[in-house]
Amino acid sequence: MVAAFKRPGWYRALLGALIAAGLGVGLVVVLRSISGLSAFQSEQTGYPQVVVPLIMAPLGFLLGLGAFDYWLRWAFGLPTIPEDHAMHGAKSWKDYFKVNTDHKVIGIQYIVTTFFFFFVGGLMAMLIRAELAQPGTQIVGANTYNSLFSTHAVLMIFVFVIPVFAGIANYVLPLMIGAPDMAFPRLNALSFWLLPIAGLLFVGSFLAPGGAFDAGWTGYAPLSTGAPLGQSFFNLGVQFAGASSIATALNFLVTIITMRAPGMTFWRMPLLVWANLSTSLLVVAATPFIAGAQFMVLFDRIMHTNFFQFGAGGDVISYQHIFWFYSHPAVYIMILPGFGIISEVISTHARKPIFGYRLMALALIGIVVLSYSVWAHHMFVAGMFSWLRVPMMLTTLLIAVPTGIKIFSWLGTLYFGKIHTKSTAMLFALAFIVTFTIGGISGVMLGMVPFDIHVSDTYFIVAHIHFVLFGGSVFTIFAGIYHWFPKMTGRMYDEKLGRVHFWGTLLGTWGTFVPMHWVGMDGMPRRVADYAGQFGNWNLLISCFAFLLGAIQLVFLYNMIVSWRFGPKAEANPWRANSIEWLVSSPPPIYNFDEIPRVVGGPYEFGIPGARHAIMPGEGAEVPAAQPTVVGH
Amino acid sequence: MFSNRIPIAKMAAAVVVLSAVTCAIMLSINWNGAEDSTAAPKIDDLMNIAIVLSTVIFWIVMVALAYALHAFKVKPGDESDGEPIHGNTRLEIAWTLVPTVIVLFLGGYSWKVLDDIEQPADRQLTVDVFSQQYAWSFGYPGKEYAYSQGVLHVPVNRQIVFKMHAQDVIHSFWVPQWRIKKDNVPGITTTAIVTPTKTGTYQLICTELCGFGHASMRAKVVVEPEAKWEKWVAGLKEKVPTPFMVSVKQDTETNPEPLERVEAE
Amino acid sequence: MESASVPLPQGGAGHAAEAHHHGPPEANQSSRIDRQTLGILLFIISEVMLFGAFFASYFFLRVVVNPADWPPKPFELPVAVAGMNTAILVSSSFTIHYALESIRKGNKQGMKLGLVLTWLLGLTFLFIQINEYVHLGFSARTESFGTIFYSLTGLHGAHVFVGLMLLTFATIRAFRGHFDKEAEDHLGVEVPGIYWHFVDIMWIVVFATVYIL
Ligand code: HEA
Ligand code: HEA
Ligand code: CUA
Ligand SMILES: [Cu+2]
Repeated sequence: MVAAFKRPGWYRALLGALIAAGLGVGLVVVLRSISGLSAFQSEQTGYPQVVVPLIMAPLGFLLGLGAFDYWLRWAFGLPTIPEDHAMHGAKSWKDYFKVNTDHKVIGIQYIVTTFFFFFVGGLMAMLIRAELAQPGTQIVGANTYNSLFSTHAVLMIFVFVIPVFAGIANYVLPLMIGAPDMAFPRLNALSFWLLPIAGLLFVGSFLAPGGAFDAGWTGYAPLSTGAPLGQSFFNLGVQFAGASSIATALNFLVTIITMRAPGMTFWRMPLLVWANLSTSLLVVAATPFIAGAQFMVLFDRIMHTNFFQFGAGGDVISYQHIFWFYSHPAVYIMILPGFGIISEVISTHARKPIFGYRLMALALIGIVVLSYSVWAHHMFVAGMFSWLRVPMMLTTLLIAVPTGIKIFSWLGTLYFGKIHTKSTAMLFALAFIVTFTIGGISGVMLGMVPFDIHVSDTYFIVAHIHFVLFGGSVFTIFAGIYHWFPKMTGRMYDEKLGRVHFWGTLLGTWGTFVPMHWVGMDGMPRRVADYAGQFGNWNLLISCFAFLLGAIQLVFLYNMIVSWRFGPKAEANPWRANSIEWLVSSPPPIYNFDEIPRVVGGPYEFGIPGARHAIMPGEGAEVPAAQPTVVGH
Repeated sequence: MFSNRIPIAKMAAAVVVLSAVTCAIMLSINWNGAEDSTAAPKIDDLMNIAIVLSTVIFWIVMVALAYALHAFKVKPGDESDGEPIHGNTRLEIAWTLVPTVIVLFLGGYSWKVLDDIEQPADRQLTVDVFSQQYAWSFGYPGKEYAYSQGVLHVPVNRQIVFKMHAQDVIHSFWVPQWRIKKDNVPGITTTAIVTPTKTGTYQLICTELCGFGHASMRAKVVVEPEAKWEKWVAGLKEKVPTPFMVSVKQDTETNPEPLERVEAE
Repeated sequence: MESASVPLPQGGAGHAAEAHHHGPPEANQSSRIDRQTLGILLFIISEVMLFGAFFASYFFLRVVVNPADWPPKPFELPVAVAGMNTAILVSSSFTIHYALESIRKGNKQGMKLGLVLTWLLGLTFLFIQINEYVHLGFSARTESFGTIFYSLTGLHGAHVFVGLMLLTFATIRAFRGHFDKEAEDHLGVEVPGIYWHFVDIMWIVVFATVYIL
């Protein structure tokens, strides 16, 4: 028994969490009594004696789980056991609950965890729609409602869309560039385990006195600085999620730059790799800003600092500037990896090279650069410097150009191809082009200041959000999951159910989110539990489609679970694709390759007789030995 | 070019027809409700221009996609690959430049509209807006502390400059029929300019999440002929101002600068 | 948490070369720079941006809000003390550099000396800073000035602390005779060194902004 607590694992993790929490409480009591404050009396919003343990406990948990063992041994110069429980591969489902350094295992861990939170967030959306089905408040009160859409959005953004892309890339990216693993496998494992912590903090905030955080996913000050305890859960959860995605981004960048197979020049990288390269650039440089913003709110709440306290020289609007300087790039963090997925899927299933490959890659970089210069388009009516509106409008509109390049190039890729639509992945990819174009164009309309003055903070915004995030990001996620499902699980999914899921989702998305434009322009504000009777019918319709949309996701769930267990075995390359991950078995062998493959051509050389992207060792011309790796000490 | 192998003309025709039909429908619908301020028609025209352009773009994408699916869908049993076309510089330049031109046009036009809906006119009337969780009150010029709660009276056909002050958290001032929206931000004064063109009563909606009362934070807006309005203001009996109003007033008198700063150019 | 994600050297395929089991193939090194150094450089970028967020806040609180007097009367900042502290931190950059130069030449004693000196200087810096906090007379609740003063200097202090942790590890390993002449044999000093230089430069910026401007 004692041994069980010594060994890294769940026992030790829970113990660690408890001890750390205890230490946290102790720390607060000591510090407060030193500074002559009553040890436990909570200052209306602060609750330091809850917040500090909330910071410590997760660290204790990670320590106990064994996320740091190797590093600590190394740091103190002790002999490091090569495989100290940071094992590779997964023999049983139990191995997915350990600190595992195998990028393929971590990828699965990511995807399953994030989809869990997708369903939780979606269930909240269902509650939102049920409440909005009729005017007046029936199911939940105004407070709960505010908590619902806040947590809904936060779960969807911070623990679904952003990390699920990291998960998919985690699985396929090292394979694609011919690397045995990520550059920092242990850091990779750590970044994953930070994620459930963030998610649990978000969901757990419902247990806090005063209910879950309810200032919207934007958490504007001073509403958030004065909000009850739940808001702190948001502030902290974002820190964990942020740390996780920064670490993953570092990992991707280093992996892509230093671990490409011999012959894989930058201009031979699949566009998914390009997409994750640009996304990681955004994450590394932008995410610290939301960390900063939430730290400031937390300090205002707990230490009663004056960042946003207008009485004491604080600046209310500065929060929005700092927040959006992250959160606009964040929306591209939520779509660029999707662009990558779509490129892979379309070129594979149209059996044709990507149209204008280089311009596609450059467009990604263009979006990265531009997206740092548009944040204030979320603040056109916020009362910020009025001179900033027009420049921000122009940069905002210009982002349509690189994005357009991508849309048109995908269309160009289809022409003179051999389009296979039997795969659900391709269906989602094609539908993505349509829905995202609509969502993007409504975005361009929002970019036009005078129109935005009218529709800002109405359901028009909600419509835009969901067309780009559900019709955009989530469609690409579905496409990616279906596309690489055979590779990840070694089994085929059921295409018939896939089709049902696809058509249901498409219908549901349009039915739910198209009418939102109309009620918005007609005068229905967002973030309201109750609304004027004139919008009743539309909202009833919206809710019905929303329930369809939700129910259809259950088909997807069923398809994935059943196919994973019982689906027919998949061969190595069911889609006859070119990139390296399809050259190894499904699922790929542990350590991916016996020898690193050699890249001899572009990634999309369909239709060119004898053209190859990569050659596996053994086959074809014999492979020149790769230069020795630099291994740290 | 591939024009000899794609029915460009037919597709263009399809785009034109479909766009025409869609625009006809979209423009015939009044999306934004009554246009009861000088800004409203301008903004709606801008929106209509955007709708037309967007429709065309949308149908270009749709038709291109539809034709691809119709013409290049693989025949059953065909395992071969498509043609190894890697790109076409002319096309790529085209679909970089054309959208650039379109968005720059939209940007320029929006800029123009923004300018003239915020053009100050002579005979302005300044009205103070005080927002707090979850109520509105309004201070009128002339009389020292005459203010009304929950109902705003303004004269028709006169440019009104709303000076907005929030007491606790951010609120937002929106009258859909005027198309004008502006946040009320604690600690600073924000301004919005409106010239109502029709008399009648409207609803003022708070559009910035401000707590559990957000949905119900509304006020009545009455637009009436100027004479009627003056009578109404005169009729307002002196009320005891809230401390907040006093502080705002003093602030504006002693040093307007810090209060005005954010809106300043 | 950020500190937890500092990519320590050897984070990479550390056990790659293990012979006793079928390990992964050696990854191809597709760039001249090694993983650990690139990792820490990228991490420093996001650290800079974290400071950036607080400098942005500084800009709003001081320039945009533009309070009557900054710092608020009657307080003023002990520029002299802070200046001395700056000197201390800057000199520690030289000592860490010395440590690196020594190990590059294979002089382990020199490295140990350099590391210990750096470590002591860093600690002195923190001590003086805390001592300054105690005697300042205003708190983080004193106007926006106190808030931004404490958050900028405090944020930097936290980074000094992280840097010290890294140095501690390096020192311990140094005294256990770990590092050696070859480039890949002393990444364990190289990487904390880079981070320490960053902490240093950051302080100069913070000092210039908070104390002098
Ligand atoms: C995946 C996420 C995502 C993406 C990709 C986008 C993309 C864009 N968004 Fe969106 N946006 C959000 C997520 C996203 N947005 C969210 C979540 C909010 C709400 C935040 C909140 O809660 O308040 C928001 C809010 C938001 C606002 C603020 C509205 C307000 O609150 O008042 C604005 C304003 O400018 C805007 C603009 C844009 C623009 C111009 C794009 C562009 O990138 C779109 C570019 C794409 C196209 C234009 C389509 C394809 C292009 C062509 C076919 C070429 C031809 C086209 C033209 C010439 C027009 N968005
Ligand atoms: C990726 C991001 C993402 C995703 C996927 C979604 C998905 C959905 N969202 Fe979300 N939403 C946001 C991001 C997202 N949303 C954001 C950023 C906001 C702004 C928040 C703010 O204002 O701060 C928002 C706000 C928002 C609102 C406005 C709230 C308000 O302003 O008052 C509404 C209202 O209808 C809504 C509805 C939906 C619906 C019906 C779905 C559906 O697509 C969900 C479908 C999925 C499921 C339903 C889950 C799977 C099914 C089950 C779990 C089984 C149970 C099913 C049944 C019981 C039928 N969302
Ligand atoms: Cu006031 Cu919403
Ligand atoms: Cu944006």
